[in-house]
Amino acid sequence: MIEAVVLAFVAGGLVGVSRQLNGRLAVSTSALFASFCNHLVGFALLTAIGLAIGGLLRDGAFSGPWHIYFGGPVGVVFVALSSWIIGQIGATRSTMLIIAGQVLGGVALDWVLTGKPVSLAALGGIVLIVAGVIVAQRQRAGTPVKDES
Amino acid sequence: MSPRRIDLAANLAALAAGALLSLMVHLNGELARQGGALFSSWMAHGTGTVAALLVVPLWWKAIQRSDAPRSAIPLWAYLGGFAGAVTVIMTSTAVNSSLALSGTVALGLAGQIVFSLAADRWGLFGIAKRRLRLGDAMALALIVAGSALVIWGSL
Repeated sequence: MIEAVVLAFVAGGLVGVSRQLNGRLAVSTSALFASFCNHLVGFALLTAIGLAIGGLLRDGAFSGPWHIYFGGPVGVVFVALSSWIIGQIGATRSTMLIIAGQVLGGVALDWVLTGKPVSLAALGGIVLIVAGVIVAQRQRAGTPVKDES
Repeated sequence: MSPRRIDLAANLAALAAGALLSLMVHLNGELARQGGALFSSWMAHGTGTVAALLVVPLWWKAIQRSDAPRSAIPLWAYLGGFAGAVTVIMTSTAVNSSLALSGTVALGLAGQIVFSLAADRWGLFGIAKRRLRLGDAMALALIVAGSALVIWGSL
């Protein structure tokens, strides 16, 4: 159990590391180029892992409805946007606003896909998130600090 | 653009990026049901690479214009995709433990937030240091509390 907790927590940290690295690359090149490198490097690694452990291609892997194969292009836009954002407003603000958008978007998507009414607790959560976004919006992002040392 | 305008644009872009992330997770989740978690991530990175190549005209000029000499870019800056791919493997392992999806998501968000606070505090990986402002700390608390309510409200 403790291993799984550490694994899930570190995985979250690595999401941040990935965003930071792509953001650094975007500063010297372009956000879309950083996104391209991110996908190419990830593809190479996953191909190597797939070849090493096998079982990459299951029967019927390619027989799903066409739209489920479009997560990749959506991801390219996502990584490009976040690589640009992090250089502008920093890691903390990027992370919290991306989380806000993700949770609000997730609730909307669930609602559209399942038609199930949004629970009272979720509604309360949405109110808190929107309030948080407004508070962030009213405050200028912290400006980069010059190193005095 | 004025700094205030750039702030606003970046804030809105971050919200939009988050919504796109939800869509991406949904699509890749459906694909994982079809062909497994490794296949789904492999496929998403492959089709993403192709998609980025299709829009080369959008970024080629920007790269040539960038004034930073190629040698000034540290090699590790190219490894964002490495960290991303490893994340996929770690989360798909954690999801299959007693943590389940909600526990994995909640701990993942906590890990992201702790890392981002450290990243701004010390300027990790070549991104500028930033002091945490009171408004940002308040916004963070509201968004975390709200996200927790939404996650538990949908269990």
